[in-house]
Amino acid sequence: METLSMLMEGFSVALSFQNILAALAGGILGLIVGAMPGIGSLAGCALLLPLTFHFNPTTAIIMLGSIYYANMFGGAFSAILINIPGDAPAIMTALDGFSMTKKGHPGKALFISNYSSFVGGLIGMVILVFLGPALASFGLNFGPSEMTMLMLVAMTSISWLVGDNPITGIIASCLGMMISTLGIDIVSGQIRYNFGSIWLLGGINFIPLVIGFIGMTQLFDLVKQDMSGEKLSYVDAKIRFRDTLLTKDELKRATRPSITAGLMGTFVGFLPGAGATAASFLAYAAEKKISNGKTLVPLGEGAIEGLAASESANNGAAAGAFGPLLALGIPGSGTTAVLLGGLMMWGLNPGPMLFTTNPDFAWGLIASLFISNILSLAISLGCIPWLQKIVRVPIGVMIPSILMICFIGAYSTSNSMFGVVIMLIGGFLGYIFGKCSLPTSPLLLAFVLSSTLEINLRRAFLTSNGNIAVFLKRPITDVFLVIFLIMVLVPVGRAIYKKVKENK
Amino acid sequence: MKKNVILTVLVFLLAATAVFAQGGKEADDGQFHIDGNVDFYVSSSSGGGSDIITRTITDIASKNGIVDAPFIVYNQPDGNGQISRRTVSTARNADSTLLCFSSGDLTAMIQNGGLTLDDFRPLVILAADKHLCFVNADGKYSSFEEIMQAVQNGQKINIGGTMSDERVVFNMLCEELGTKDSFTYITYGSASESIAALLGNHVDIAISKPAAANQYVVAGDIVPVLALSTTRFSTPFDTAPTLSELGYNDVEYPMWRGVIGAKNMSDEAVAFWADAFKKVSETEDWQKNYLERNLLVSQYMGPEEASAVMYEAQAAAQAQN
Repeated sequence: METLSMLMEGFSVALSFQNILAALAGGILGLIVGAMPGIGSLAGCALLLPLTFHFNPTTAIIMLGSIYYANMFGGAFSAILINIPGDAPAIMTALDGFSMTKKGHPGKALFISNYSSFVGGLIGMVILVFLGPALASFGLNFGPSEMTMLMLVAMTSISWLVGDNPITGIIASCLGMMISTLGIDIVSGQIRYNFGSIWLLGGINFIPLVIGFIGMTQLFDLVKQDMSGEKLSYVDAKIRFRDTLLTKDELKRATRPSITAGLMGTFVGFLPGAGATAASFLAYAAEKKISNGKTLVPLGEGAIEGLAASESANNGAAAGAFGPLLALGIPGSGTTAVLLGGLMMWGLNPGPMLFTTNPDFAWGLIASLFISNILSLAISLGCIPWLQKIVRVPIGVMIPSILMICFIGAYSTSNSMFGVVIMLIGGFLGYIFGKCSLPTSPLLLAFVLSSTLEINLRRAFLTSNGNIAVFLKRPITDVFLVIFLIMVLVPVGRAIYKKVKENK
Repeated sequence: MKKNVILTVLVFLLAATAVFAQGGKEADDGQFHIDGNVDFYVSSSSGGGSDIITRTITDIASKNGIVDAPFIVYNQPDGNGQISRRTVSTARNADSTLLCFSSGDLTAMIQNGGLTLDDFRPLVILAADKHLCFVNADGKYSSFEEIMQAVQNGQKINIGGTMSDERVVFNMLCEELGTKDSFTYITYGSASESIAALLGNHVDIAISKPAAANQYVVAGDIVPVLALSTTRFSTPFDTAPTLSELGYNDVEYPMWRGVIGAKNMSDEAVAFWADAFKKVSETEDWQKNYLERNLLVSQYMGPEEASAVMYEAQAAAQAQN
């Protein structure tokens, strides 16, 4: 009960007129910036951070929290509407979200994404309030060997994306892994594959690569369609507001995945160094297993369940990441690392002493997360009627505007033309990939996950002096190992069984 | 008519470039002053340690009228920081281009290759920090003697730390103790990650600077067991002995933060900046909002002293590379 009274006190701080106004301003700005393709939550928070310097610390932090949270909502918009994921977790959102848009339901897709984000975030926050410090300490048990196994399980989600031809999928995944090894090796300090260029010392940045591979390729498609004079069927479909409202059945189908994915996402968010990307991949993979065959359309072709799982997990993880940040001072993702920098500028040192030394601040921040969750939901639901008109913008206006935003997003990742060059190369490769019918998503997923996998795998072997038993002797790794084996072997077993049966 | 307008604009633009192209110059009164903007480069992204010190310096310098020219801070983390270092070393407006520089940056610069301190003009060192070894309060070991005992019994010890200055001090420690084969270094992306690994008992020792570990020591989660310095630290780190107290030679690799300029910076500009940063380091703002908050010692060093310290650190880093 003490927790509740502390939370109530937090609400009384957060609900002052000035603080609500700050949260509202942060929410609107966060949504706009988060919705721009290529800017996403990490760059969005970094861009808007200086704005908060003009307020007193509590107001500033509340604004920061709502910017962070609204960014998470906004990240899905461009993925759903124009198939350009703003950040890594939104890759999964784009799969089903954009498929729904293509079928003429952009409003519904936005509605589900907002609804699931809200549910996932709410679950994450409730868990944060009651189990935050306990879960954060449990997360510490995740050392190199546990993280290695977790990443292996997350990587199995690549197999869903591979499609009909496994060979092309494997080629794309391997290319993604190769790209991730460029630059300085963090374990030994060795320079790898920089081809004599100092630009490549720091490796390839993910955001410009995604903008190139997905965003630019999407643009090329638009140009092609425009030149062929072909009309996009979904562009001319008449959009009425009442079509965007969900039916009872649709709401029901979105709720269950939102809850399971929200719980999973929150848990992954609590692990130091895992983050929202792994959360949405894992939840999507799990949803594929859970709803096996029970969805109206398969996952990846516009299934409500897939969209709900990805969005809910990503927002659950966003809330969960506050656990290790506030209780241990350890940022769980790049975005929370920016937040940590912001908090430290205010002289607040998140860590084990925070809840003792600055309880009003810590609880005020948590309370403001609840408020920004509700505000973000309200603002983004209100925006749907206008947002869904974006798909009807004339192609001649659409192409140059997306192109410009892509350039800005790629440039702002490191304030240099290097990002733009990566984006252009990525776009060129993405186009070639399309021509050779190589899938791009496995490449991007392999790129994101394999660097974390590699670092943790090597740390695990270093700590155990190269003994592979380090993956067997610990309870958590054993659990993941079993899940991994089930994920990998069951489809193989089923295929063999089917072959045997057919031959009889 | 139109032609005239275009011509006027062209002339104006030419004049403007001519004026702004000069970075700094000696004014009529013989005093050095800066024309145009000051480009202050940071080789890591916003929110990190280098960014915070740069923003604090520029903020204080502008607020107190120490430097009139406006500062523009560029965060350029490309190429592991090497891009911004190269940009500054060859900057055209050498007198008004600065780079935030720490011993961590220096280690990275040597690792990356291609640039050395000879490509810059060292200006000042503003703050210094040293390292400690920490163990988990509930871990296997509770003192450094126990660890050395375990090493003699053939145990392997895992030590976590970052890739830059902490790795250098780790290598110096191994050399002094002769434990190269018993100590394994596990690299982490940041001090908070290596402390998290220590809290989860994934490493036996974490090497860190005091500021990152302070809260955990106060909370009793981790314990300092060795001061990598010639003297003991102040509370709450005063329980950790130095190596000489344990019968070895002291090992230290002070982590300093300072500012360097372009290779072609004029002597007048060097003097101007050394003086400006000295004034910054004497403000109360600096003492309170930077040094105290980050548990740092004030350590102003002018160009000559700073240069000596930087070259010494470069020699240590090159020896290990």
